[in-house]
Amino acid sequence: MSASEQKSTTGPLALRGITKSFPGVRAVDNVSVDFYPGKIHALMGENGAGKSTVMKIITGIYQPDSGEMSFHGERLAPRSYRESLAMGIDIVHQEIQVVPEASVAENIMLDKLSLVSPGGRVNWRRLYEEASVFMQEVGLHLPPSTVVRQLSAAYKQLIQIARALAARATVILLDEPTSSLSLSESDNLFNLLDGLKQRGVTVIYVSHKIEEVYRIADSISVMRDGKLIGTRPRAELERNELVRMMIGRDLREQRIGSTKVSESKVVLKVEALSKAGKCTDISFELREGEILGFYGLIGAGRTEFARVLIGEDQADSGSVYVNGQKATIRRVSDALFRYKIGYVTENRKEEGLFLGESVLTNLTLLVWKRMRHPLTRYISRKKEEVAARKMVSELSVRARSLADLAANLSGGNQQKISIGRWLLADCDILIIDEPTVGVDVGAKEQIHQLIWNLARLERKAIILISSEMAEIIRLSSRILVFANQQIIGEVGRLDDEERSYAKVRDEIGNLLSAIH
Amino acid sequence: MQKTELPPKPIEPVPDFSKASRGFRGGRALGLLIGTAVLFGGIALVSDTFLKPYTMFILTRQIAFSILIALSQAVCLVVGGMNLSVGAIGSMATVILGLCFQELKLNAWEAVPITLLFGVVSGAINGLIITRLKINSFIVTLSLMFVYMGLRSGISGGSPYTIPEDFGFIGQSAILGISWVFVLVCFILLATGYMFSYTVFGRHMLATGGNENAARLCGIATDAVVFRAHVISGLLAALAAVLWASMIGSCAPETGDSWLIGSFAVSIIGGTGLNGGVISIAGIFLGGAIFVLINYGLIEIKANPYFANSFLGALILLAIVLDRVREIVGEGKRLGRSA
Repeated sequence: MSASEQKSTTGPLALRGITKSFPGVRAVDNVSVDFYPGKIHALMGENGAGKSTVMKIITGIYQPDSGEMSFHGERLAPRSYRESLAMGIDIVHQEIQVVPEASVAENIMLDKLSLVSPGGRVNWRRLYEEASVFMQEVGLHLPPSTVVRQLSAAYKQLIQIARALAARATVILLDEPTSSLSLSESDNLFNLLDGLKQRGVTVIYVSHKIEEVYRIADSISVMRDGKLIGTRPRAELERNELVRMMIGRDLREQRIGSTKVSESKVVLKVEALSKAGKCTDISFELREGEILGFYGLIGAGRTEFARVLIGEDQADSGSVYVNGQKATIRRVSDALFRYKIGYVTENRKEEGLFLGESVLTNLTLLVWKRMRHPLTRYISRKKEEVAARKMVSELSVRARSLADLAANLSGGNQQKISIGRWLLADCDILIIDEPTVGVDVGAKEQIHQLIWNLARLERKAIILISSEMAEIIRLSSRILVFANQQIIGEVGRLDDEERSYAKVRDEIGNLLSAIH
Repeated sequence: MQKTELPPKPIEPVPDFSKASRGFRGGRALGLLIGTAVLFGGIALVSDTFLKPYTMFILTRQIAFSILIALSQAVCLVVGGMNLSVGAIGSMATVILGLCFQELKLNAWEAVPITLLFGVVSGAINGLIITRLKINSFIVTLSLMFVYMGLRSGISGGSPYTIPEDFGFIGQSAILGISWVFVLVCFILLATGYMFSYTVFGRHMLATGGNENAARLCGIATDAVVFRAHVISGLLAALAAVLWASMIGSCAPETGDSWLIGSFAVSIIGGTGLNGGVISIAGIFLGGAIFVLINYGLIEIKANPYFANSFLGALILLAIVLDRVREIVGEGKRLGRSA
């Protein structure tokens, strides 16, 4: 605690009791942590653990509800990104943010163009000279005038770091910086970060890749459900312990109930399905009444596979059998109408819902063809309302009327509608992608119950894609673990009750740490 | 181990869903209705000739044309695109109709289908390029607009074609004081309304415009939907050209030159969203009426006709600004409620 009270110019960036809530969720809950100069400090946790909210608070994009920050012993309360930048704190975002049509030098010096432009006229030679200093520092051996658009993701990453250096940043936050880099490019980045560390820069490194964190971090902080679970020096933290800190959960560790899988009824069989850059050699069987969990981190290839399966992307090779018959799925309507496969998308707002349309339309859209008069083509409003009303009450959607716009519903209710649409269409096989992202705790429980009911009572076959370990273990009959666009292992027989939550979790953890 | 065999019970009694019909965006239609009434009353007060049967005949016919041309635009707007070649297709169709009559000596039963076929083909060209090559509809239809404008000038040399006298029937005669064109267009408008409200095709268009990715992931053939929207657009533009020729009694190559701005004005005033997914048939009808009444009013108060375009532009902007204001106010309310 005394660190934050010391007056010094080398004190840590200290967070004390930082709390931030959004409607329905406490994203960051009483987080206290110190980031020291000359150290690489990794911040780890599952999706939704609160890492990025913490980063946004440090860089002034969000303001905390309570708690304090200090930097060099002085109070730090940036009200905007510009203010934090002025304090020497900069962030390199996961999504690469560069001006594609401008030169490398312009990108690095973007906010300092006026300094090299006496009288408003850009002094290009000086711009290039100054930019190349920072380019050398990050190992960008290119002409400063190179246009950014043609460069690879790795170069763009380096440009962003050079930009942070040019801003004289002494604290640099990196958000999943290797997500679009190859192995050797990552290596270069790590060497660069080591160099920055030697120069006394504070590096805050957000990642969920265990391997790279062990390679470069000096200390590791783990967040879960908005809380800081702990901060340890890397040398004192075992990998298994780290995985446990990231995914362990006290609440809701119990399974929701056993599923009753009809072992003999294979409804979906996928054989060696591959699509370059999306999924590699995916094979599995899905049975009636089964909830098959797809666990993995974002980008592990689960959603990409789902899109190939439903015909949104075309497979390069491999085959799919539905109820024992070879299936030809060229577009989504084939999957839906011929094989009764439904896909509940992960981004319900971007790819799931019609926000400007009514609850009614959002629910019944897939079954209109069934409700129309053969001659007049009139879609029976009555049939539509009966169907929608039934679904609304079965899923206990909270809406004032069927005419309510989807945009006006809460996240949980929106999710119920996205699922309900496919139920109305009588899908036998449902792929449900990240069903509880951004919904509150109560709705999450309801959605879990709903998914389980579908498998257990309605005998649907369900593929559940989730990056949340607890959710996967709570619901699945069997779990396939994905990494690098492949299935790296299977954790089966979850209905056998001898195995505790902790044991299943460790099995998954072992699979993941084996390849990392 | 928790086991619940029954689905969760509704948390609260399911409310009354009797008002589930989509209807037109209520407040807006009312506003337009009031606007139309005010304009109508205002002009009636200052003008002696306004309430005469002949004026009504002319006005209903003009309203019909502005609705038809706006519909041609709106079907593209509604799927999230646009058709800048509405007027150019109209001009080109006029030239084709003129050629059929004057050069090929065809009768109306042959010439009109050929002209409408041109509309379908030109719309199909727009639709194919947009959906196959994934090029923005703005640039595709802009380019083709110039292509057609050049063709019509080059082919026609700028002078009108003569057409058979009896071809003027539909454009020039009336039933109960109302232009036949108006009757026909009202029928088309109602059919369009039926399509958007009650048919799978129309509602797929709305869904595609509302969220193309979601629509595709729901198994809707979004490319086919966009393609057909452009075909309908081209067909309606060509139909407008045929009716126009019938009205003026010749095939004037400059027919469609003034259509483009009007097609946007009426659509937007009528509440067809520029982002797609929204259309109001009542809105387009009233938008057409307001558009024509404003033009008539400007003549009536002897406004300098050279400034007419400024009024038009300002009117479109006003409609968009009002919409945006309503949206912002609405969003504020929504956030206020959930917080």
